[in-house]
Amino acid sequence: MVPGWRPLAEGLLGAESRIDFVGLEPDGRVVIVLVGEAGEDLEMVSLGLAQAEWVKARLGDWLQLAPELPLRSEFGVRAQLLCPSFRPQARAAARALGSARIGLATYRWVENGSKLEPLVEILLDDEEASEVEQEPAVIRQDVPQEASSSRESQPDTPRDEALPSFRSKLADEDLGLTPEELAEFE
Amino acid sequence: MPRDLAEVAHFFLPDGGEASETRARSAPRPRRDRPAALPILALPIGGRDVVRAAFAWNLTVEIARLGASATLLAPFDSDLAALWPESGAGPVGAEIVQTKARDLADLARDALDVAVARAAETDDPGIVVVRVPPDWLYAEPGGHHLLRWPLLLSTDDPRDLAETYALAKRLYALEKSARVGVTIHGVRRVADARRAFERLARVATRNLGRAPRSYGLLVDDLHVYRAIVSRRPIGLEHPQSPAARALRDVAQLILEDARVTAIA
Repeated sequence: MVPGWRPLAEGLLGAESRIDFVGLEPDGRVVIVLVGEAGEDLEMVSLGLAQAEWVKARLGDWLQLAPELPLRSEFGVRAQLLCPSFRPQARAAARALGSARIGLATYRWVENGSKLEPLVEILLDDEEASEVEQEPAVIRQDVPQEASSSRESQPDTPRDEALPSFRSKLADEDLGLTPEELAEFE
Repeated sequence: MPRDLAEVAHFFLPDGGEASETRARSAPRPRRDRPAALPILALPIGGRDVVRAAFAWNLTVEIARLGASATLLAPFDSDLAALWPESGAGPVGAEIVQTKARDLADLARDALDVAVARAAETDDPGIVVVRVPPDWLYAEPGGHHLLRWPLLLSTDDPRDLAETYALAKRLYALEKSARVGVTIHGVRRVADARRAFERLARVATRNLGRAPRSYGLLVDDLHVYRAIVSRRPIGLEHPQSPAARALRDVAQLILEDARVTAIA
C-alpha cells in the first residue's frame, strides 16, 4: 500500500482493542493501520487517534527494547485508516486533524484472474493532490528509501510538516553581541 | 513487578513532620535501571580541526557538569592531543581516553568497551563522546554501529553546510538506523542558526528521505580560542560567557536524547 513502508507488528493489543498493523515509514515515522468495515468510518477516526496516542506513549520503551529500529519518535504516530468508504463527515474530521496524524484509504475486493485481491486507494485532500501533481517524489508515502539517491536535482519544496524543528533555548541576547556589533556584520 | 521498599513505604508509615523528612533522607534511593552500555555519540572531526576538537572536549566537560558520566574517546592524534588535557579523569570528572585505533572497526570496539565499563561504574546517566576521523568513514567497511548517533558541527556558510550534508548522506548510507544530529556554530544570531539548520534539513529530507535532528547552536567567541590556548574548559573558566551558555544548552539536548539511546 505504501512503498517503503516497513511492517513491524500485526494484531498488536493496543488501547482496549487490537491494532491491525504497526509499521515505519521510510523517514522513521511510526504508522498504525486500522481496518474497518462499511459504516465504521466515523468511529475509526476517533479510534485511530486513541490508538496513535497509546502507541506514542510507548515509543520510548520500544526504542529501549530494540535500539536498532530506525524509529523517529519526534515525528509522532500516524494512523492510516482503511474502510470500504468514508462519509464526508469522516473526511472533514481527518482533514481537520491533518495528514500527519490521520490518513484515509478505501479498500475493495477485485477479481484478479481466478482469485480476489484487495485494491487499496489512498484518499488525498485537495492540497496534497496538487502537491503530488507538482512534485510526486516529495510525498513521503511515495518515496522508497532505496530510490532516494536519484532525486538530488529536484527543486527545494518539501513538506514542512516532516521537517524536524530547530532546537535551542538561547536567545540573541545569550550570544553576547550588541546591536552595534551585529550591525557591522549586516 | 518487584518494588523497592522505599517506593511503597509511604503507604504504611505516617506522613508529615520531621520524622518523615529524616525517613526520606535515610531511605535507600530507588535503584535506577542501569543500561548495559552508555550511549555513544560520534563526532566526525578532522585532524587539524582545532575549533571542533575544542568543542568536543568542552561539550564533554559540560555534560559532566550537568551531573552525568562523560568520557571523550579519541584516536591518538598528535595535532589534536595538544588541545586536550592528559588522558584520565579531568575537570568535574570528565575523562579523556586516547586509543591506538587505526580504523573505524577498532574505534567502534574501543568505544563499546568504554561504554560498557562506564555503565557498570555508575548509576548516573552518562555518555561516551567519540571523535571519528572523517576519512575513516570512506575507508573499508566495519564498525558502522559506532555511527548510530552521530553529531555534525557546521557553520552556516553554504560550503560548510554542503560538506555537512555530504557527511550526513555518507552516515545514512553506512548506518541505515543513524540518528544524525547537527549543531550550528559560528553564527551571530539564533535566527541564522535556525535558518541554516532548516536549509540543511530541507535538502536532506528531499534528497535522502530523512532529516537530521537539531542540537542547537554553539558560539565561537573569544573564550573558545582562549580555552584552546589555555587547555581549560570554558564552562569552568567563564561560566557566564555566551560560549558556556550555548555549550550547556547543547549538552542538555544531548543528555535528554541519551535517555532514549541507552542500550538496555
